[in-house]
Amino acid sequence: MRQILWTHPINLVVGLTLWSVWFVAMYGGLSVVCAIAPPDPEQGPLTLLNAGLALLTLITVAFLAWLAWKCFHASQQTTMRAAHFCAIVSAGLYLASMVAVLFVGVPVLGLSPCV
Amino acid sequence: MNDSSQDSSRKTAPEDTRRFLEDLERVWANPRGLGALTIVNHTTVGLRFMLTGMAFFLVGGVLAMLIRSQLAFPGQNFMAPEIYNQVVTMHGTVMMFLFAIPILEGLAIYMIPKMIGARDLVCPRLSAFGYWCYLFGGLILLSSLFMEMAPSSGWFMYTPLSSKVYSPGLGSDFWLLGITFVEISALSAGVELVVSILRTRTQGMALHKMPLFAWYILAMAMMIVVGFPPLILGSVLLELERAVGMPFFDVAGGGDPILWQHLFWLFGHPEVYIIFLPGAGIVSTLIPVFAGRPIVGYGWAVFAVITTGFISFGLWVHHMFTVGMPQLAQTFFSAASMLVAVPTGIQIFLWLATLWLGKPRLQVPMLWIFGFLFVFVLGGLTGVMLALVPFNWQVHDTHFVVAHMHYVLVGGMFFPLIGGLYYWLPLFSGRMPSQTLGKWGFWLTFLGFNGTFLIMHWTGLLGMPRRVYTYGADEGWQLFNLISSVSSFLMAMGIAMILVDIMLHFRFGKPARQNPWNADTLEWATSMPPSPYNFVSLPKVETRHPLWEYPQLPRTIAEGRHGLAAAFHGRREIWGTDPLTGKLREVIHIPTNSWWPLFAALALAVVCISLLLRWYPLAGIAVLVAAGFLLRWSWENGAHPRAAPDTREQPGNPPLHSRTLDGPGVWTMAVALLANGAFFLSLLFGWFYLWTISPEWSMPPESPLSLTLLVLAGLASSAGWLWLERCVRRLRRRQGAGLAKGLYMISALGAVQLGLLVWVLVLAELDVTATAHDAVLMVSLVYVMLHTGFGAVLTLLQGLRVGYGYVGVEAPLEPVVVRLLWRYNLGVYWIVVVSLAVLPRMIGGTT
Repeated sequence: MRQILWTHPINLVVGLTLWSVWFVAMYGGLSVVCAIAPPDPEQGPLTLLNAGLALLTLITVAFLAWLAWKCFHASQQTTMRAAHFCAIVSAGLYLASMVAVLFVGVPVLGLSPCV
Repeated sequence: MNDSSQDSSRKTAPEDTRRFLEDLERVWANPRGLGALTIVNHTTVGLRFMLTGMAFFLVGGVLAMLIRSQLAFPGQNFMAPEIYNQVVTMHGTVMMFLFAIPILEGLAIYMIPKMIGARDLVCPRLSAFGYWCYLFGGLILLSSLFMEMAPSSGWFMYTPLSSKVYSPGLGSDFWLLGITFVEISALSAGVELVVSILRTRTQGMALHKMPLFAWYILAMAMMIVVGFPPLILGSVLLELERAVGMPFFDVAGGGDPILWQHLFWLFGHPEVYIIFLPGAGIVSTLIPVFAGRPIVGYGWAVFAVITTGFISFGLWVHHMFTVGMPQLAQTFFSAASMLVAVPTGIQIFLWLATLWLGKPRLQVPMLWIFGFLFVFVLGGLTGVMLALVPFNWQVHDTHFVVAHMHYVLVGGMFFPLIGGLYYWLPLFSGRMPSQTLGKWGFWLTFLGFNGTFLIMHWTGLLGMPRRVYTYGADEGWQLFNLISSVSSFLMAMGIAMILVDIMLHFRFGKPARQNPWNADTLEWATSMPPSPYNFVSLPKVETRHPLWEYPQLPRTIAEGRHGLAAAFHGRREIWGTDPLTGKLREVIHIPTNSWWPLFAALALAVVCISLLLRWYPLAGIAVLVAAGFLLRWSWENGAHPRAAPDTREQPGNPPLHSRTLDGPGVWTMAVALLANGAFFLSLLFGWFYLWTISPEWSMPPESPLSLTLLVLAGLASSAGWLWLERCVRRLRRRQGAGLAKGLYMISALGAVQLGLLVWVLVLAELDVTATAHDAVLMVSLVYVMLHTGFGAVLTLLQGLRVGYGYVGVEAPLEPVVVRLLWRYNLGVYWIVVVSLAVLPRMIGGTT
């Protein structure tokens, strides 16, 4: 049953869906806070808002890495070709989603949020 | 394929075979004369899409020539500014909405069933309906040009330029209503392509054995399903603003014009990839054939397709870098814009590696593929440049962007499309095109294209803004513009050469032999041109390259030695298979030719024209007529005698889909609801966006929506849903007693919910023209009311169908489909209640 979970074709879209949700949360969260209670520009990037966005990024990265590992592991276990294909491509897609989260999220460390 | 040898050893008597072929011809026959309007077959509908798209392309091309003629020299008066604006707007609109997407959909509709070993798409009447919506919507939109009242605000219709104040004529209305009509077509195609690819591949064709083209089309179709609804919502809102005065995009009324930009580009940027992916799919199909070897890195290609599909949704704001937003937000979109180049780069390296390791044959289709590689890579590189915010600011709204866009779209879509056209031409006609004319056509187009648009990068860098109708002689742009204009006519000559070649080949082309390019995919196992049923029998396929490994397949298929080789029952049949493994699950019997799709589309055309002319009573009547046609059409589904004249199952075959609980109807409803969900989420986004961002947003301190009545309505809906779940559970256990009564009661609960919502609306006394707040409440309430009413009517019809024997223990599928709608309605309803009635009470309004 567990193996079916990680070799299911749904994994092909879960990673990048999570990336999309994370992306919308980052942009939406930033926009709402900047509209309602923008931090002082003098603070630079060292704001609670940036810290929150960075934390969200780290959690998402960790979760995607875990998912990538589970799929990769399942791909090595299964003997069914179609299941192996789905699991290994999904592992790659989770990994790509993780890299995408990191790449898009890194500016949080260096830029003021609402300037 | 292993078992296909077993299948192919099946011997039938010549008399049986003859009778079977006669039955097959009769069941799948396309009527002639006026009856041809009823044809729903994917081959005919796909061709209609492509031919209509080509006609619109010629119109768009003539408009392009007019633009280049106007800009050839400074200070020209060839066209008045207002006419030039119409021509520019219509050029972009026609090319994007009436040519690029429909022609690719047409190609997919034509090709996908043949490639995956099916006889038709899973919802053929939906294909036909989509085509008629496209044709009528396109003609309505185009008619504005001839009446000199075409839209003139640019193909992206930015507000407030497109609003009533600055565009008082009917131009914007033509665009909004016409495009929305056309988009019904895109969504229809998107939904059914997804379901067909996932559920109707031939026996044994597991997901990892699917032709790469099908992966690309699957991604494109899913992107259409998710990407088009934001624009449909935007168009509805803008039309409501123009027609009724609801101020969604008017700052004074609490709206925001930037909301339009968000909704437009939420659709607009993915659309670039919706256009590119099928083009890349053609490239991934042709390169292995002409290199004579399988593509390098099939799994990597799938990886790249999926990644492109998703990341392309995270770029929309890079069209809006100059509207003013925090730098940090800009970096998110800048980074995502750079990221999307990675999967594209992966595909390019896969194609190059395949060519490197194979023995490429430089025939006409491959010329276009090489042209694609050159042009698209350049367009991709300027795309990465535009992803960089400071550079983007500098060249925003200049001809540099026009050049980039054409390199990406013409390079990424037009070049592969023509390559694919030359490649599949023998399949369409049974004849080969001329190599000489084909090469002339390519080189003239290639040189003309680069002469037109490469130069335009420089005119852009020199500061020439886009969309200006003329320029001064002292600007220093005249030589570049002249070269662009002359080259554009060279390109037009190239395209004319291609058209001449295509037309001549129908008469003078050499007859093509079977599989003339030595291709590996199943479409070449059909007759040339293909019969309406594609395959006499459906083979078991367990390889990515069926025709390379089993070259005798066309013969054994034609001899009826594989699956579904019987048609005496009068049903149009295809396999229903497992999405992952390709194992057989059911026999899908699909609907036959019908007038309903045409009638429904005609009624919607009347709605569209009535709204344009502000004849609202007629529009209302036409809506009811269209709904009547659509419901009558739905009545002939499932176990209805017209859908399944003979319900006996063939020995050894899986059950008929209408006798199962997981037929393609469930999948079709699920994918359609995904599109609906994208529309709803866009509406929700609009609500929260205006609430938080709009500078003049005004919300009363007390919500005008009665929470008590809303909760009561929600309880009625919840009770109906629970009852329906119980009905389906009982059907699963083959208990049909009291089913009709239950369905009538569920429908009544839907009606109660609808009545309560009407009461909520009346009590709210919304002033929809005064504030965007009230206008959004009205649209949201109407949205849930329409869904509630729709759910109630469908459930009522289910009750009636039980009485007729079309639904019951033996045919349990339809209540499962309707249950999905109820689940969706319920989820959406409570989200609306929380967002519109509970949160404002908790957070408090502002005045």
